[in-house]
Amino acid sequence: MNFFIKKLLIVIPTLYIAWTVVFVTLNIIPGDPVNLMLGGRPASDEVRENVRKNLGLDKPVFERYTSFLINATKGDLGKSYLTRQPVTTMIKENMMPTIELSIGGLIFGVFFGVFFGIFAGTKPNSMRDTFSMIIALCGISLPSFWIGMMLIYIFGTTLGWVPIVGEGFVSLILPSITVGLFFAGGMARLTRSSLVDVLNQDYIRTARSKGISKYRIVLRHSLRNAMIPPVTLLGIQFGLLITGAVITEEVFARPGLGQLLLQAILAKDIPLVQALVVYMTAVYIFLNLIVDFTYGIIDPRIRLERNRG
Amino acid sequence: MRILLKIALGITFIFSSLSFINTANALDIVFAEDRPDLRTLDPRITQSRHEEMLIVNMFDQLISADSEGNIYPGLATSWDVSSDGLEYTFSLRDDVSFHDGTKFNAAAVKATFDSIVDPETGSQGAVDILGPYKETIVIDDFTAKVVFERRYGSAITAFTETELSIVSPTALDKLGNEGFGMAPVGTGPFMFKNWEANKKVELVRNPDYNWAPEYMDGSGPSQVANLTYRLIKDTSTRVAALEAGEVDIAELVPPLDMRRFDSSGDLSTVTGTVSGLPYSAFLNTTTGVFQDVNVRKAFFHSLDRVKMTSDLFFGYAEAAFGPISSSTPSYWSGNEDYYPYNPEGAAALLDEAGWKMGSDGVREKNGEKLTVFFPCLLEPDTCVAIQGYANKVGFDVNVEVVMKARQDELIFANGYDMLVIRWVSLDPGVLIIPFHSRNIPQPGKFKFNWARYANAELDQLLEDAESAETQEVKDDLYMQIQKHIMDQAIFLAIHDQVQTVAYNPDLEGVRFANGNWQMRMYDVRKK
Repeated sequence: MNFFIKKLLIVIPTLYIAWTVVFVTLNIIPGDPVNLMLGGRPASDEVRENVRKNLGLDKPVFERYTSFLINATKGDLGKSYLTRQPVTTMIKENMMPTIELSIGGLIFGVFFGVFFGIFAGTKPNSMRDTFSMIIALCGISLPSFWIGMMLIYIFGTTLGWVPIVGEGFVSLILPSITVGLFFAGGMARLTRSSLVDVLNQDYIRTARSKGISKYRIVLRHSLRNAMIPPVTLLGIQFGLLITGAVITEEVFARPGLGQLLLQAILAKDIPLVQALVVYMTAVYIFLNLIVDFTYGIIDPRIRLERNRG
Repeated sequence: MRILLKIALGITFIFSSLSFINTANALDIVFAEDRPDLRTLDPRITQSRHEEMLIVNMFDQLISADSEGNIYPGLATSWDVSSDGLEYTFSLRDDVSFHDGTKFNAAAVKATFDSIVDPETGSQGAVDILGPYKETIVIDDFTAKVVFERRYGSAITAFTETELSIVSPTALDKLGNEGFGMAPVGTGPFMFKNWEANKKVELVRNPDYNWAPEYMDGSGPSQVANLTYRLIKDTSTRVAALEAGEVDIAELVPPLDMRRFDSSGDLSTVTGTVSGLPYSAFLNTTTGVFQDVNVRKAFFHSLDRVKMTSDLFFGYAEAAFGPISSSTPSYWSGNEDYYPYNPEGAAALLDEAGWKMGSDGVREKNGEKLTVFFPCLLEPDTCVAIQGYANKVGFDVNVEVVMKARQDELIFANGYDMLVIRWVSLDPGVLIIPFHSRNIPQPGKFKFNWARYANAELDQLLEDAESAETQEVKDDLYMQIQKHIMDQAIFLAIHDQVQTVAYNPDLEGVRFANGNWQMRMYDVRKK
């Protein structure tokens, strides 16, 4: 238990540092939020000065930093420069679509990743191994905008099986496949190599000599031990997804945190970028904790060691 | 039991026939808009033509203008201008109500305009359009007098602009400025229903709407019952969704797809030539090779704008020649006689200016190369086409595709030879912003005279045109202004901005609003 308390204690300073780094960076890089907001529109000086005043950008940087900080400790992360809406509201609005897409991608990725991993790992250096690994390589290396557009072309435009920008569960299928393919590629490769290692262990030979069926050996005796590296990868990749899949969101015209962050950075919407980065850092830390926790479930030895240490 | 069954059948029949009637009269339209990052739907605050795409359908203005800029009564049935040009007295319709049920009247006009000039509102567009506004006087319930500080030549056009739409004062009080922008209340043919951030905005028809401007085909409520704006940024997805029938009308369709639809007839198309500044380049007159007017003229002559435009737009946009587009009022057709494609003439001008052709195909003078630094914010393919043409006569054009923040830095530091621009504007009065010498940018001060051209005579013309008393005087002054800009070769127009729209061929009544960018959806109906 100590272990988790220690980890949680690191969270607050980490978030504070991330938040400050974003503030400093965005104030150093070129670009004036007021100009970026007004775009190419021929707004007069009066309009520019008024917008600057309304956003509090006429105040010195240090004063802005401290007032941001004071408000943040009260739980108020500020208002977006662009929309004047509270940044927490904006994050909340875009969070659900991102979570949906992440879970869809996760399900698809884990299913196909583990499937192809076992398919290849149980018979290394065979035809089916090569075939599975080629598929995995495609999943990792094909860019998601290409996969997304191909899926739209084949299943949306040509066959008309699924909606392209429609509503509800069906509209989640193509985007989930797009992000899931990337997921599945890494999972498949790691599951395969890990499984090959485990299947060469002594206890598997013992199990075989006891006459236990092949399926039982793979599913009950090997897979659990082989899952530690893939679960680690899963944590990292899920972390990537839950912070937004920019390109997939754009191709399928889905709202999401990736698009929100991109818009915020391009417009130098400092309060929004800060809030998003803090949120994303928190999610990463949280997912790391979950992964650590999962190790203990998969392999009780890890839990024992941790308690001893 | 049998009687019950009969009753049930009867009820089912009645309901099914009712729903049939409903669907016949209840068109659901999905419009694919290209920008997902809408910020506000408050006409008083917006500065985005993409936001106005929705706003124009939810609000009405005092004066209404069709897509050609012809003027019709809007919320005002008539208006009088005082002889000194300072007072505009509007007689208002007495049968109009806002979507929240409150009555439209002179007090609403006053509340709208007064709140636009209130700095608290944070207006980004409307406050400039309202110009030298002084006050609104409520004469009686349905008569309002708008008073300006000085003569304002663009006033009538201004009252037709989407930004000067009349908003519900009751809703403003209730929601505040920020809340109103997220749930706007106007008098227009459609009412706000729902907004899913970065995804879609849903409008429903206003069942009480009975004040459509007379240039519309229809009267009474629109035949479109539900109007959804699906925000699709990716161009190929937008076109795919249109072809799959998931959306009915899509904006900003690539010219190549427009051509495909026109030849196959699968989808109908309509193209609007946007009024305002065409896609053009400012040539920097204060630094580098463009300080010499003959070098600027040679650069103009080196470009085959007609061929370049037809290569890039397949006939869906025309080449532009003057500082304002041909669809803008007071456009001077004399612009078209200037600087035709003439590479030999360009070479002769450069020779005369002392720039001799070097062995590497780039001209030189006193060991200096004829180099042009061209930061390109909009339409990189057009920038590269310009580069190719200019290179043929010996310019070395260095194109850098930049983001807005980088362009701002370069503007502050005067670190560019040319920059591109395009604006939507309904009035030639916009020319004062990019050409008056007071609008030359300074470090930290963002302004729009990117040619950095200062000329007292041009300044005077621009100021006089702003307060011109009659249309004839105004046209004449803007003719002289355009001529001056063309003679000096400081602003290189390339092509007209176009709004390319494709839609379901079963529909008709798809029409542009004034300015030819936004779409009025009121008249859309089944053929």
